[in-house]
Amino acid sequence: MALATQAQIEAIAIELHKCADVVHERLMKSVKRREVNHQEAQLIFQDEIILRQKANGLYIDAANCVVAGFAESQKRLLQTISTAKQKLKTIKELAAFIDLTADLIVLAAAINAAKPSAILAALNEVRKDCESIKDIA
Amino acid sequence: MRIIQAVLACTFIILLSGCTNLKEVRDFAGQSAKLTGYTELTTRFRDTYYREQPYLSEEVHTFAQQNDARRKAAYQDLLKVHQTITLYLQTLAALAGDNSFDISSGVDALSVGISAHPDLGLEKHEVDAVSGLAKVISRWATSSYQQRALRQFIKEGNEPLQTTLSGMEKLIDYYQQTHDNEWQTIKGLLELELSFNEQPEHRLLATLARAHAQAKAAEYEAAAKKYREARKGIQTISQGHQLLADNLGKLSRKNVKDSLRQLSKDVKSINKHIESL
Repeated sequence: MALATQAQIEAIAIELHKCADVVHERLMKSVKRREVNHQEAQLIFQDEIILRQKANGLYIDAANCVVAGFAESQKRLLQTISTAKQKLKTIKELAAFIDLTADLIVLAAAINAAKPSAILAALNEVRKDCESIKDIA
Repeated sequence: MRIIQAVLACTFIILLSGCTNLKEVRDFAGQSAKLTGYTELTTRFRDTYYREQPYLSEEVHTFAQQNDARRKAAYQDLLKVHQTITLYLQTLAALAGDNSFDISSGVDALSVGISAHPDLGLEKHEVDAVSGLAKVISRWATSSYQQRALRQFIKEGNEPLQTTLSGMEKLIDYYQQTHDNEWQTIKGLLELELSFNEQPEHRLLATLARAHAQAKAAEYEAAAKKYREARKGIQTISQGHQLLADNLGKLSRKNVKDSLRQLSKDVKSINKHIESL
């Protein structure tokens, strides 16, 4: 129904648009033949421009119909996008998790070697990893 | 040690052959996103009244102002159409990205971490071998994950995207018709008034009006070209995405890649053309 309305609006707009073109052509012919004076010509021209404005108004209506018809498609597109974004995020999480594993190994090694400064540094890294995983989630 | 070397050799072969190359998809999506992100024509539509206003008579202003208010009200919704399509194409480019599904930097960190601690009892070349293997396996796993994610994305997205693209083409059509009315308003006024001002005493006025008409003609012709190019661009994007949707399982085939490369080139040259106008 919406589409039929849009097509109808568009068709009427194009007709008005064409009418204005015809009016202009006729007007200029009459002006060349000196059949109308300046003031009459200006009045006819004004009517032509009003026709053009009316046509433009209908083009806005038609554009609004198109946008309204988009609602469903746009919703579906956004849904598809958000699913994909979720997948990209999962991969990021995986990478962050690998970081964490690496730093945990360093921490284990540091504990094994019993070096307090290394333990503190490693703990700091682990803390950062946990925070970045939290950020992603 | 030999076993590790053999495994490594095999895995590099897998790495080279199994590696999904989605460069064509990525390029196509990237160029297309640039085109749909181009909102100048929509803005031009919104600003119609600003340009036509000096040429309108008092009586026409009321109609023109009503249209102006309604175009301004529609503007945000029209921009949203651009945004949704552009976001979709950018996501497509990201899904086809080389690094989007790459977790090898994480694996590198792992091997550096281990190497830094010789007290763990692992030698450097052993660590390298293990991390190389880990990289290949992770890449292999993520690459199939990427392929599936991409295919599902295109499959789900194709129908709503095609609908939205054809709607966008309609919108460009309306912009162009409005633009034509605007040009006829300006051209018609100058044409009409010039025919009543051909007397020698109005020579200066007539000359200025003709020069103005000439400059305006060039401006409106350039804009008209932009509408034509933009419409061609939208059609090319639609064709390209349909190609992807029709060849979901065959994205790495040569003929698909070649067609896609050609379509990207077309979109790219349209982008360049629009920018140069």
